[in-house]
Amino acid sequence: MTAPVTAADPAPSRPRRRPPRADARSSAGLRDALTIAAVWLLLGTVTALVRPDFLSTQTLLAVTFTMAVAGVLAVSQGLVVISGGLLDLSLPVALILSAWVTVSLLGAGLPTIVAVLAGPLTGAAWGLLNGLIIVYGKLNPIIVTLATGFGGLAIMLVLFKSAQIPSGSELRAFGLGRTLGLPNVFWPMVILIVLTGLAVAYTRWGRRMVAVGGNAVAAKARGLSLPRTRLAVFGGAGAIAGFAGVLFCSVNPSFTPNAGAGFQLIVIAAVILAGISLSGGKGNFLVLLLSVGFLSTIPVSIAFFGLPPAWSLVFQGGLLILAVGIDGYRMRRSAR
Amino acid sequence: MTVDIDAGRVPLTRRLLANLNGPVGSIALTLAVTLIIGAVWVGPRYFSASNIEIVGTSIAIPLIVGVLASFALLAGVVDLSIGSMVGFGAVAFNQLVGAGMDPWQAAGLTLLTGVAVGAVNAYVIVGLGAEPLAVTLGMLTLLRGLCQAIVIEAPPTTLVEPLYDLTQGSIGSFPTLLLIAIGLTLVAAGFVGKTRMGRAIRAVGGDARAAGRVGIPVARVRVIALIVSAVGAALGGILYVGQLASASNILGTGLEFQIYAALMIGGYSITRGGVGNPIGALLGLLVVGAITNILNVQFIDPDYLDIIVALILLGAVLLDRIRGGDSFE
Amino acid sequence: MKHVPHRPFTLAAAALTAAALGLTGCSSEGSGGGGGGEDDGTFTLGFAVGGQPDADWQDLQGDVAQALAEQRGWDFVELSNDNSEATATTNADLFIQEGVDLVMMFNGQPSANPVIAKKYEDAGIPVITFDIAQEGWYFVGVDNAAAGTAGGTALGEVAKAEWDCEVDLVISAEGTSAGQINEWRTGNAREAVAEVCPDIPEDAYVSYEADGNLTTSLQNAPGVFAANPDAENILVVGINDQAVVGALQAATQLGRDDNIMGWGQDGGLITGDNVDPNLAGSVMYFLEGYPAFAFEIADAIAAGDVPEVKDTGDDAAVSVKPCPVSQEEAAEVPSIDERVAALADAEQGTTAYDLFCPAAAG
Repeated sequence: MTAPVTAADPAPSRPRRRPPRADARSSAGLRDALTIAAVWLLLGTVTALVRPDFLSTQTLLAVTFTMAVAGVLAVSQGLVVISGGLLDLSLPVALILSAWVTVSLLGAGLPTIVAVLAGPLTGAAWGLLNGLIIVYGKLNPIIVTLATGFGGLAIMLVLFKSAQIPSGSELRAFGLGRTLGLPNVFWPMVILIVLTGLAVAYTRWGRRMVAVGGNAVAAKARGLSLPRTRLAVFGGAGAIAGFAGVLFCSVNPSFTPNAGAGFQLIVIAAVILAGISLSGGKGNFLVLLLSVGFLSTIPVSIAFFGLPPAWSLVFQGGLLILAVGIDGYRMRRSAR
Repeated sequence: MTVDIDAGRVPLTRRLLANLNGPVGSIALTLAVTLIIGAVWVGPRYFSASNIEIVGTSIAIPLIVGVLASFALLAGVVDLSIGSMVGFGAVAFNQLVGAGMDPWQAAGLTLLTGVAVGAVNAYVIVGLGAEPLAVTLGMLTLLRGLCQAIVIEAPPTTLVEPLYDLTQGSIGSFPTLLLIAIGLTLVAAGFVGKTRMGRAIRAVGGDARAAGRVGIPVARVRVIALIVSAVGAALGGILYVGQLASASNILGTGLEFQIYAALMIGGYSITRGGVGNPIGALLGLLVVGAITNILNVQFIDPDYLDIIVALILLGAVLLDRIRGGDSFE
Repeated sequence: MKHVPHRPFTLAAAALTAAALGLTGCSSEGSGGGGGGEDDGTFTLGFAVGGQPDADWQDLQGDVAQALAEQRGWDFVELSNDNSEATATTNADLFIQEGVDLVMMFNGQPSANPVIAKKYEDAGIPVITFDIAQEGWYFVGVDNAAAGTAGGTALGEVAKAEWDCEVDLVISAEGTSAGQINEWRTGNAREAVAEVCPDIPEDAYVSYEADGNLTTSLQNAPGVFAANPDAENILVVGINDQAVVGALQAATQLGRDDNIMGWGQDGGLITGDNVDPNLAGSVMYFLEGYPAFAFEIADAIAAGDVPEVKDTGDDAAVSVKPCPVSQEEAAEVPSIDERVAALADAEQGTTAYDLFCPAAAG
């Protein structure tokens, strides 16, 4: 696979390390953004031609609502991917575990602020657990999170069968409310994507993380600590997944341990579509807004066409294949 | 793996010892420990004919699917879509037979869909150079969506007698299908270990560039491996219909992870090609099957099974890493 | 790659395996070790719970059955069908090997039931099935068709009273993997609504896949509301409470909750403190209480007085009476945990319907 190859072959990448950097990255980001925007527009146009009433505030509400939790999770997954951590397959566990802790604390009558903070803390603890196994076991993150993913689900099934957020709680009221005409849960997602996008591109911390993802050997040679970066990224990404859990439980009044499974694919697809390559080191988080928006529009369009929702799985899967195919083709061409 | 290159010159005992030292050795030991725990805790009935039949029947199909999918792992192109392909193959076969088609014809068509799915995976991965994990994750979703789009009402019941006897029957007290699966495993092990093609596959997975330099057709090997993987899954789907006489739209969900967890316990890697042996796949599935069975016959909550399998999986890859295998950074 | 000293590794493998299996040891308490294959003359009941991750009542059925078996001094062994037809089939082999005298089960993925039935028939073990009929098995369950009709009728009556049957949209939140049950519950509910309010146009009925759980339902439903932007008075029926509440929640998110009413099935989300305000009612079957009905048959079998097999919803061994309740009535019904406790203590022959259905209490 790609990551080990680059790690084992520092020689060819070194000469072209310096020149392209920022320019190449932003132009690739722009191209990814334009491509997705164009495809999204196409989907919208086709749907609107068949059903003119597609262009309505109802559609906007449906899409923005669907985007919220998936978008936050995509930021979490994106951080893991861009830093060269390959993938976190245990994201659904971080999501639901955090949501469960949050509603349990709310149910126990603790102040909202405590319960809301407990979500990201739980997620961070889960991410750190993954990070510790990966760093100190020197194990591949995909395998580790595959194991903790199904092990974690089993642990949750032992812990609880279903969880409900107290209907009178402030968090629940937040989940049902709207700001500027759009669902409350939509806005934290937008803010998070924008802040992460800026932080990754413009802070020293962000650039280091991307450098580690692009070429771990070179980053190490420059004195960056790989274990510290890995732990920070998995912990931080876990905290963000925990935050997604807080948003999740504010809109899902009742959920089961398995409820996170449906997010796995759409989140990975959003990250890859946004041009955050699985080989690490490149991508722009702002594009996530477009890719998550596009993927969230598919099920709504499907409903307008009157097709059964199973077809949205077919389209999402097919699009992912198409996107990574095009991405692979482009990378291969530019490598020549 | 370096040991095998001069396998011809090393004395047999040395080779056996080297094998014991490797992943196959530690998984054999794990299996032995599992069986001892079973013998002590469950008692002699753990090894009763009916119990062997139960374990055998439940791991035979995953073994066939796993051994054929292991070629893709070996060639360094993981195929996550096998679980959905098992489901899609089963749904296709069941619906076709349910609609009155001749079972042989239906089976042929189903295997052809496997070829088609494998070819699409191969085109995008090998032809376009995309990440196998991402491509096959997309295929996993796509095929599951198709299963749900096809099976909307209750699926037809299609008891194909010869297929039922094959998948549920036994010779003496040994499940027929498991015998076939073990036979397939041994053939695959011989193929991988002894033939030039087998060595080529391992070389492609180990270091594609080096393999290309010595004249191995890397692309062709990977294409064939991906098609074999998908066809194996389609075959697994047909066999499940034989065993269950029907196919719901969730059949095979998560099977890819169960199979790969067992394969990784047996010494394969989903992130690195060139390592693993079909015998390891057999032993890995036996370990998981044996533990599942201990929990089953003791009537213990199956949730604990996944926790145990996760721990063993982490232990196995850690052991492999300490031994000098796949190290992340 | 010479011979690295390998003993530490093999030791580590052994230690790890032992540790992992030690876990199973911790969890074995209360299972009673399974009782062994040899028959000691004690009546042994095998119970397979559904194992669907979205349904807590399935595990609770097992708890109730265990309590009832212990009351009678029977051996009790439990497996989970794990929402998988392959596992359900293996479970049949396990129960047959264990030599149980009777099997009770809920199998939510019934496509392999004919094969499972063949196995039990060859082994001569009677089977009681909950809710999903299979030829040759005692059927204990709600008449799903009647339950669908009851829910649809109740919802139609409310729509007639409140909106004079002016309904713009009837949404059906389905769970197609449940097969015929889905059709009975949602299809009959739609027909019953049409019966009460015949003037609702045919194209006002739309269906979508909710997969029988709230999370999926909430993900798929927003598109349905967006695609029907002009509908004001909306009714929701569905395969279960989770599916219906998912649609109601989506309506709230899209600001379409002013005139929407749902009527669920199974009563999973109609009791407790957090009932959705737009869930007008549900049809309770007291799923957790099914074993109490099934034990009427089990007692007869254990006494050697094997009753005639009645294996269809129309001609059921025990027909669980569906209990339609409005949200106000449901407030009087105890929560599922309290019901499980009450059932375990109740005298033999008492059913959940007698204990908890408001209609029976009168």
